[in-house]
Amino acid sequence: MSSQATASAEPNYFEVTKGFKSWALTLDHKRIGLMYLFGILFSLLLGGAFALLVRTELMMPGETISSADTYNKFFTLHGAVMIFLVIIPGIPAALGNIMLPIQLGAPDVAFPKLNLSSFYLWCTGAACLLLSIVMGSVDTGWTFYTPYSLDESKSGAIIPAVFGVFLLGFSSIFTGLNFLVTVHKFRPQGMGWFQMPLNLWALYATALMQVLATPVLGITVLLLFVEHTLHIGIFDPTLGGDPVLFQHFFWFYSHPAVYIMIVPAMGVVSELMTTFTRKPIFGYRFIAYSSVSLALLSFLVWGHHMFVSGQSPLANMVFSALTFTVGIPSAIKVFNWVGTLYKGDIRLQTPMLYALSFIIMFTIGGLTGLFLAILATDVHLHDTYFVVAHFHYVMMGSALVAFLGALHYWWPKFTGRMYPERLAQVCSIGVFVGFNLTFLPQFVMGSRGMPRRYWDYDPEFTIYHQLSTVGAFILGVSLFVVVCYLMVSFKKGRKAPKNPWGGTTLEWDAPSPPTLYNFPEPPVIHELYDYDDIVEDGDNGWVRKPRPAGAPPKEKH
Amino acid sequence: MGDSHAHHEGGHGDDHGHGHGSPFIQHHYDDAKHQFDSGKLGIWFFLTQEILFFSALFVAYILYRHHHPEIFAYASHYLDVKWGAINTAVLIVSSLSAAWAVRCAQLGQRRGLIACLVITIVCAFGFLGIKYVEYTHKVHEGILFGRKFDPCVSSGGAQLITKKNECHGTKASQCVPANIDQMPEQPGWQVACKAYEVTYQGAGAARTEVSRAELPVCNMVSTGHGPPRAENPPCWEIQSNPNVCAPDKEGPTVAALVHYGDGRVRGSTFGIDLQCEPAPEPSADGDPHADVSHGPGFGQPLVVPSTTPSAHDLKVQASMGPPPEHTNMFFSIYFAMTGLHGIHVLFGIFVFIWLLIRAIKGHFTPDYFGPIDYAALYWHLVDLIWIFLFPLLYLIH
Repeated sequence: MSSQATASAEPNYFEVTKGFKSWALTLDHKRIGLMYLFGILFSLLLGGAFALLVRTELMMPGETISSADTYNKFFTLHGAVMIFLVIIPGIPAALGNIMLPIQLGAPDVAFPKLNLSSFYLWCTGAACLLLSIVMGSVDTGWTFYTPYSLDESKSGAIIPAVFGVFLLGFSSIFTGLNFLVTVHKFRPQGMGWFQMPLNLWALYATALMQVLATPVLGITVLLLFVEHTLHIGIFDPTLGGDPVLFQHFFWFYSHPAVYIMIVPAMGVVSELMTTFTRKPIFGYRFIAYSSVSLALLSFLVWGHHMFVSGQSPLANMVFSALTFTVGIPSAIKVFNWVGTLYKGDIRLQTPMLYALSFIIMFTIGGLTGLFLAILATDVHLHDTYFVVAHFHYVMMGSALVAFLGALHYWWPKFTGRMYPERLAQVCSIGVFVGFNLTFLPQFVMGSRGMPRRYWDYDPEFTIYHQLSTVGAFILGVSLFVVVCYLMVSFKKGRKAPKNPWGGTTLEWDAPSPPTLYNFPEPPVIHELYDYDDIVEDGDNGWVRKPRPAGAPPKEKH
Repeated sequence: MGDSHAHHEGGHGDDHGHGHGSPFIQHHYDDAKHQFDSGKLGIWFFLTQEILFFSALFVAYILYRHHHPEIFAYASHYLDVKWGAINTAVLIVSSLSAAWAVRCAQLGQRRGLIACLVITIVCAFGFLGIKYVEYTHKVHEGILFGRKFDPCVSSGGAQLITKKNECHGTKASQCVPANIDQMPEQPGWQVACKAYEVTYQGAGAARTEVSRAELPVCNMVSTGHGPPRAENPPCWEIQSNPNVCAPDKEGPTVAALVHYGDGRVRGSTFGIDLQCEPAPEPSADGDPHADVSHGPGFGQPLVVPSTTPSAHDLKVQASMGPPPEHTNMFFSIYFAMTGLHGIHVLFGIFVFIWLLIRAIKGHFTPDYFGPIDYAALYWHLVDLIWIFLFPLLYLIH
């Protein structure tokens, strides 16, 4: 059914067509995803560079390398680049684009032209966002809070930045729309909703949020754009507008946006957990439903960002209570992952190391979130480094680490090359150590009152800041090495087998790299996460055991 | 929702065709139905996204209207119900023709399809034309959004916004702005004034007073959120109004804000007579806000009617008075909502022109009419949004 001979008979998606035009105008979801991936890795290094500038400035109290104004621009750009250009598109637009149709056994996404348009929207949006650096640079923080962002002396930078965010938003909406329709309409016969890999459930839930939440960001930044160009006044208190309304709109998107970042990460980790423990996932339906319930809950909790913005006490209480409910689906997932680990045949390859880091750091990030959901403690911790550490544990320690895990897991599949395993393991440990060294001290200084976004600080906080800066550099070097060896292995890596990890989902039945329409012949749908039939076969990776003749076909349902 | 397709059965590595009825079926779909269904689901998700896109503006509308009902009740009068109603009719006709176009495409009636698309496009242009007329009026009168809100005012202050194209009086931006915080903070100032509800007979200079009833001063109570409420309606509270133009006076102008309960609030002018004692002396520490020696004297009517207002103007004035503070917010929301809606109409025109060209080329068959169907669905949504906008903006009482 899947001999290497038939797979190599048809050219893979790199070989089908060549030349610049064949990439620039491609409708192939894998090429589009790969182009996204390179853009995202570049943005990751850029955003990381801004982070290191921020951390270097904070090495000592007072001015270290930059003035306070420049520092404001550094952290704004770090936030905007990392969120809008790296984490939000990271798993869905890049890796999801490549893997979603293959995991479905489909030839492409539902709307390939729309997919390409999304990519160009993303490029244009990213260009506009980066243009703002040249135009004087935004220093409002990535949240663009009004009335601070209404300052007309900053219009030159804010106009391209918010326009860029608007375009990036629509890129995200169209990608989500594409995924929703693909999952609905392209599942092959034999793959019902509950035979879908959990990664697809997560991408589906993410796509729902992208389609339902991002338009609100779109109109909000559009109004901010009109505020600067036409002075429409809807957010301008001097004209009777309401600046707090901006916060409501912004968080109505940006809270779901946090889940747009974390839910696909959870999907990836679910895949990694089962593959690298050689066990079916524990509690499949619970994980699937918890992804969807996170998507729904994400729309009900935005007010917890605004506990100190003068919301009514009743609203604060309701939002606080709703925020606690988010803990339920999150805890269900962690419980099920740990349940999968239990008595599993755990293999500590690089993707699994990232997945295990994810569980640890997501647990820390999630539990510290509960501190912030409590009204009484939030008043104390609001706008301190405690919050900074909390959301970095979720967005970087969890979402980005899962992205790295996913990248290593699927890298052999879509590039057809193996990365250097031992170096990658060292780097993943470097990421784990560097990350925790950076952000654990921030919990301490935050709870002791160090406010976020400050350029200067009291000498008592020096030691925490220095630990944090050292950690950031370990993290930065590790990530830089990761990007370097991936780039090298892209050209020079060892040829990857079809199934290097022993995965059971459909993508491992496609050749590495896949052909133009992914599968040279229609894939056979096997039982999901069934590891009994897959055995290791030396350099060929893992292969399916040929079934003894006459044995009844192993069919589920 | 859960129907899955056996799209591998035909294989997909082969060339275009698959034995599809239409050359426009893309290779990665199983058949025409699979493509049509996928597109249909896609357009529904897109429309959901559109509703969310507009939702923020509707939320802003609800919020500002809840907090400032007087602004909405006041400013809505400056929208012309006639044009709004015509535009509603135009859009409904275009929605009908769009739906009809789908039917024609399904039945393979090419000429009917072309005719329906032409009608839709013409109606869409008609809608934008009427919108252009309305916008032009507002640009002339300075009734714009945010900072560009600069209505025409007459020197007396009564005829504040004209419904004419030309401005006979002064622009609000040329007036001396009153200090918003000044009057209510003056201790005793409110007590030094008396407000009467007056009914008149006749119009203009010939009018005579019929009755006069003194209104009590409001006891304002905080509601926790939203604006404070009056405990004892009908009653009045003092309001200094930055939008009132008084070029012949240097000081601020004050007006009575009358609360009728049930959230009904009216600014003072015709029908409300406010009479005040001379303003208090400047305070000893030289607080500039205390210097209101130029304020109106007792017995002097604050709002003087402009020269020979027409009967219609009088009627409008009697019901409206000077614009409440931040009247510009209504027009900000009006222009944001109708502007965004107009952009959608414009986008629809491009789509329908593209479909018209394809229809003339004969691309659409009973096997392949998806784009017509999707565009019509989009058009119905654009139409539906207008159906909400029309009463929300034009028909406020």
